[in-house]
Amino acid sequence: MIVANREQTMKNRSPAILICIALLASFAVQADGGAPIAPREGAIGYVMTDLFWAVYQTPDAKQECPNGFNPGPREQFEVLFPDSEKRTVVDTQLKQEIETWHPTADPDSFPFYEAEGPLSYGLNLDGKTGPNDFTHPDGEQGIDNEVYRAVACIIGFRGPVGVEYIFQNKAIADRRYNRTMIELTGVDDLTNDDNVTVTLYRGLDRLLTDATGMKVMSGGSQRVDMRWGAKLIRQTRGKIVDSVLTTEPIAEVVIPWMNLNVPTFQIIRDMRLQLKLTPTGAEGLIAGYADVDTWYKQLIRNDSTHHLSNGQISGISLYKALRRLADAYPDPETGANTAISTALDVKLTQVFIVHPPGEAAVAELVAH
Amino acid sequence: MFATVMVVAAEPDRPDTPGSVEEYVSVPMPPGFRVEATELEGPVFADAGGRTLYTWPSHKLRNGYSGETQGNPACYDEVRTVTAGLMSPYPPGILLPELDSRPSCTDLWPPVLAADDAQEIGKWTVVDRKDGTRQWTFDEQPLYISVLDNEPGDVIGGTTRRYGGDSPANRVPVGPPSRIPPGFAVKTTTVGRLLTTDKNYSVYAYDQDTPDTSMCHADCARTWVPVTAPAMAQAQGEWSIIERSPGVRQWAFRQQPLYTNVLDPRSWSLEGSDVPGWSNVYTQRAPSIPANFTVQDTLVGQVLADSRGMTIYTYVCGDDSVDQLSCEHPNDTQVYRLAMCGGGDPGKCLKSWPYVLADIGTMSNSRAWSVINIDPKTGHHAAAEQADAFSVWAYRDRPVYTYGGDQQPGDVNGAGTGEWRAQRNGLKAFWLRDDYMGGTL
Repeated sequence: MIVANREQTMKNRSPAILICIALLASFAVQADGGAPIAPREGAIGYVMTDLFWAVYQTPDAKQECPNGFNPGPREQFEVLFPDSEKRTVVDTQLKQEIETWHPTADPDSFPFYEAEGPLSYGLNLDGKTGPNDFTHPDGEQGIDNEVYRAVACIIGFRGPVGVEYIFQNKAIADRRYNRTMIELTGVDDLTNDDNVTVTLYRGLDRLLTDATGMKVMSGGSQRVDMRWGAKLIRQTRGKIVDSVLTTEPIAEVVIPWMNLNVPTFQIIRDMRLQLKLTPTGAEGLIAGYADVDTWYKQLIRNDSTHHLSNGQISGISLYKALRRLADAYPDPETGANTAISTALDVKLTQVFIVHPPGEAAVAELVAH
Repeated sequence: MFATVMVVAAEPDRPDTPGSVEEYVSVPMPPGFRVEATELEGPVFADAGGRTLYTWPSHKLRNGYSGETQGNPACYDEVRTVTAGLMSPYPPGILLPELDSRPSCTDLWPPVLAADDAQEIGKWTVVDRKDGTRQWTFDEQPLYISVLDNEPGDVIGGTTRRYGGDSPANRVPVGPPSRIPPGFAVKTTTVGRLLTTDKNYSVYAYDQDTPDTSMCHADCARTWVPVTAPAMAQAQGEWSIIERSPGVRQWAFRQQPLYTNVLDPRSWSLEGSDVPGWSNVYTQRAPSIPANFTVQDTLVGQVLADSRGMTIYTYVCGDDSVDQLSCEHPNDTQVYRLAMCGGGDPGKCLKSWPYVLADIGTMSNSRAWSVINIDPKTGHHAAAEQADAFSVWAYRDRPVYTYGGDQQPGDVNGAGTGEWRAQRNGLKAFWLRDDYMGGTL
């Protein structure tokens, strides 16, 4: 690595200067001083810093939630078990927890407000335009995002103050378990390249931040996690058009996503990326079909009923909605869909990916 | 540096080979009390019968505090009937389950009573209880014994392992200080009593070192930083000091020079032990796992697993009463566990969260692990000679489980199942090592 080779020369320079030098040295720059055209050795790495379910929001939610927001566990408890009646733990608290942890697709006893209106963020996953599809705000038709339909009218999923939006997003940067990385190789031009290789890894290290600890800086390094995360490695191909990377789908991607110390994950089938690339970062969408049961378990294993209450998230009602709106991967026996279309807003910051040394490690990478 | 008053107490009965049990600093005790070695918690105080002493420290919960502040006993012979509402979103005043058989706090935690002529000594003092009796305290925390402990050295009643803010206000065993120099600490984990610095960073030993010579210098010492000893520090007991270079002294424990790892990303890390030749240091190891159990790699670290490689889980439960009584032992009410494991249906529990069955005639080689007979219909201990009883593995006298939702070795899909991320009424994976969340602590 450049920084390592010049360690003696640079050791007295400030970290910020070193990062700038490293970044500039990692790109071939046009002779006239224009935009960078290719990363050094055709490779550039990014590390995920932000991740959350893409929710199209209008002011006061007037368009997408004209009926208001859904009630959460606290509101539902008060309706179901008024304090004027004799209440027991078994008949109240445990009854609700049983329904949360052993959910069913049976009809909900509460009305559930789904997103209304034609607009949603996301991608056209199936290449079709159907009656249940949304239109992207930029006009693209056929957007598949049924998770949005389920969560848009739940306060906890809406930015910038929803409890899930805050904490699950924050955990992406804070927790090393969640350290998803994307590496592009074979890149001739970061602006336009019709064939690049895209590899997903998990990193091992904390993120490089500024002095406040809040802003993630480009130019950090991340070791590839071959100790616990080798099974997370995936690879696909993509193309870059006008600095936007679009990948081919990956059959199944596991995204580690721990919040509050429970090691959970999401399973996204037919996962593809659409990212605006720069030498210092990337931003865009992860889209595909989320496994419904895994989606739900990731939520309730990480966040207790207390946390869900703070976001007015009734797990009981939400699970029914997810099952009702699931739109892919039917169970061969029951015919019920097991996956639901979705899109996640994602931000990444450039990082130098440190691969494990040695031929054996390379072989292991290829094997995964 | 060691205090000159430090004296190693008379060696108690030890459950393991010499040198593998944690030593402690002798402290003055009233007559009738002693120190017992335990497999999981190191040395603990015990009463005349060898029963471990526990305290119930105050613990901040979501809507208030439970446990005891110093000098204020709160555990009495009163059966609580309603919830305290300490854990939102559920309100207080809801009737607790199985009231006809619900114990009082002192039914499970008898106070350690002091005679009228009891003489206070050191940190041992006496406090008046509101029922007119007098109770021993240590460091002003009232002392109790657990009805679950059967033999000297049992710590079935509680553990000093770290518990989160949403866990119940647990009872914890109390004992004398570990015999360690200033600048060190000991932490109870699932794999043993981990030696760390007083900043909670793990210390390591290097297998190339000799008792009086470090083989880690130059580049090595930039990654593995020797734990230096002050000029006035003196060797004592299992602790010695080597001189790395003139005037530079390094602590050694059991003849192993000690280091910290600058690459450790967090407190209590086990990551340095991945480097060949380097290993974490324990004052005592946890007992061996049952013979046919296995260890599996996961996305987080290593987990205990059964003979098929399927992850093993423990059930954790404390109720929302003022007393914060346990609901995780087979003696306790099973309605909470049955709710989580099978929606209240014992049959579903056996399918979704099956017990880890013990082979006929299997014996445990420790007291931490045991084989107990369970009535599968109730979850309580089986009656003697009960024909349909299950013989199951138990850890700290509580059954362990696998999860029906795990498909293959290394899956931990059941971890965190239950209320409050399984801190109050749910199932936790049995972590042996995790690099991300302190699960072994």
